[in-house]
Amino acid sequence: MRAYYQLTLAQLRIFLRNRQVLFWTLAFPIFLMIMLGSFLGNGNGISLTVAVVDQDNSEQSKLLVKELKKNKAITIEKSSDEKNMLQLLKDGDLQLVVTIPEGYAKSLAAGEGTNPFKLPVYYNETNLTVSQVGLQLVNNAVDTISKKQVDYKPVVVTDSKGVEALNLRYIDFLVPGIVAMMIMSNNMNGVAGQISSWRERGILRRMQGTTLKASTFIAAQITARFMLNGLQAMIVLGVAWAVFGIEVRGSWLTVVAFVTLGTLAFMAIGFIIAGIAKTPESAGPIAGFLSFPMLFLGGVFFPIKDMPEFIQPIVQVLPIAHLSHALRETMNVGASFMDLGMEAIILSCWLIGAFIAASFTFKWE
Amino acid sequence: MESSEEIIKVQGLVKRYGDFTAVDGSEFSVHKGEVFGLLGPNGAGKTTTLEMLVGLRKPDEGTAIVGGYDITRELDKVKEVIGVQLQSTTLFELLTVEEILHLYGSFYREHISIPDLIEDMLLTEKKNSRIKGLSGGQKQRLAIALALVHDPQIIFLDEPTTGLDPQARRTLWDIILRLKERGKTVVLTTHYMDEAHVLCDRIAIMDQGKLIALDTPGELVKNLQSDSAVEFRFDEEADVVLSEIEGVKQVGSQKDVHILYTDNLQQTLTSLIAIASEKELRLVDLQTRTATLEDVFIHMTGRRLREG
Repeated sequence: MRAYYQLTLAQLRIFLRNRQVLFWTLAFPIFLMIMLGSFLGNGNGISLTVAVVDQDNSEQSKLLVKELKKNKAITIEKSSDEKNMLQLLKDGDLQLVVTIPEGYAKSLAAGEGTNPFKLPVYYNETNLTVSQVGLQLVNNAVDTISKKQVDYKPVVVTDSKGVEALNLRYIDFLVPGIVAMMIMSNNMNGVAGQISSWRERGILRRMQGTTLKASTFIAAQITARFMLNGLQAMIVLGVAWAVFGIEVRGSWLTVVAFVTLGTLAFMAIGFIIAGIAKTPESAGPIAGFLSFPMLFLGGVFFPIKDMPEFIQPIVQVLPIAHLSHALRETMNVGASFMDLGMEAIILSCWLIGAFIAASFTFKWE
Repeated sequence: MESSEEIIKVQGLVKRYGDFTAVDGSEFSVHKGEVFGLLGPNGAGKTTTLEMLVGLRKPDEGTAIVGGYDITRELDKVKEVIGVQLQSTTLFELLTVEEILHLYGSFYREHISIPDLIEDMLLTEKKNSRIKGLSGGQKQRLAIALALVHDPQIIFLDEPTTGLDPQARRTLWDIILRLKERGKTVVLTTHYMDEAHVLCDRIAIMDQGKLIALDTPGELVKNLQSDSAVEFRFDEEADVVLSEIEGVKQVGSQKDVHILYTDNLQQTLTSLIAIASEKELRLVDLQTRTATLEDVFIHMTGRRLREG
């Protein structure tokens, strides 16, 4: 027990004294987050600029515009020049053009029994996803108006969740991914690099000459790394909160639980690499070989559903995919640990399997 | 302090690496309280022997009893009674002297007072310094301190003074002799003659994996049966039968350096110079000295301990 405590302490001291490693392992994810967050945050997110050409100019048409404005995801641009607006739509400067033709108010006043009034909404087919979302929003607004008009009492209401999700920005998607990436690289690459270099330098060998047990050594290693990683994850989340206003919607306990599972699973994989690698020089490329595909296929930067069909089965077993998904669900949507049981099980399988493999491949020298 | 009690008993240790036999059936005993030296050139199997005794390598054949425990079956017990300093080990460079001693102390059930140990190893000034900044001699003293942290009976030192300056070597010799005074048994490897002579009660000479001699330094030299050596070179190829020079008992030659062993230095020298003049040969680097362990080694193997 004393050896476990002393080794954990020693490892933490080594981390804290190795300022350069400490700085760069933190600087990289934060830098990446800020770069990607500020450059792609607006372009790729779902923000809609809708032009409204109000030709009717009545109380009723103003009411419709007001209804559209209610949705935060929509920026309304009023104009009277429909032609010009349609050109802007073609150029991609606008996502939708809604025209309220003359006679809109009259038609509404005519009331029930008549054919519904047709409201032309123009969209650009080359930007289909955004257009679809926009159309949906306009539909919602129009729907609200129609319902008011007929004094409709709803019997079923939709869950507000759907509309909430539309408010997610790319940065909301990115931050949990960055945390997952950090957990992967700090643990997998970190353990592989450090253990193989300690082995090469004879540090492990010298400890083998004492009565210290390998299990104590590994347990202390895990504890210290887990403490450091937890801290780093919190710092990244703190920066995300301060700079981009990201918040954790779910329970912090769930976040901590998945950070723990991910840390342990990737550390175990790191121990396997350290066991396989003959030199510290080869540990880097081996860890890189595993981490690079995971970065791009594991849903860190891009959603997994955007991946081609044939890679999906591979992607679905990667530990990082489940880690980033679980963190995302907790942080963005507020999913509970129970909702994420599948992710927890898969990560646990990786953890157990990797530790078994690591115990067979671990060598003091 | 020395007694005839056998604290280490090596029984036919063999270690092979593929076709190469690094240690070929070593058999020897170390007495309690003595400083025992394993002497030999690089690659003789000294380090491999030592590493098998401390449990870092598994012998292919044979075994050894260390402090009453069998190294193949009771390694955990062995580790409790031995302290180890390995050749060219690095330590956690970012820890301080005091921290790493506490760390290694925690690996054992009990450890001695760390401040006392630091003082004994002359590291008091450096106790809060990081290992990174220590000099070679200080690092080596720290390595020995780590070997002593749990107060073991037997201490294994693998080339403790290699790469140190003369001053640091002497400091380390004092430390090793003090360990002996305290009744510790010390097993060390070295390829320095003078060191083996000063420190060791008995010396085992190893060459190419085999133990070729084991005795006290005095006896080993005495067995040469000559007390002086004459060493020289000819400045060109010479056709001289050196063993016919007066008074020469043995000839040890390697490359172009010749060594004559004699009991009658004056006679041999006069005769050598006469022959050189007669054949018009120029003597280069002529020196005379008393025979040492180095000569024992040359005599036994025809090679020097350290080539070049």
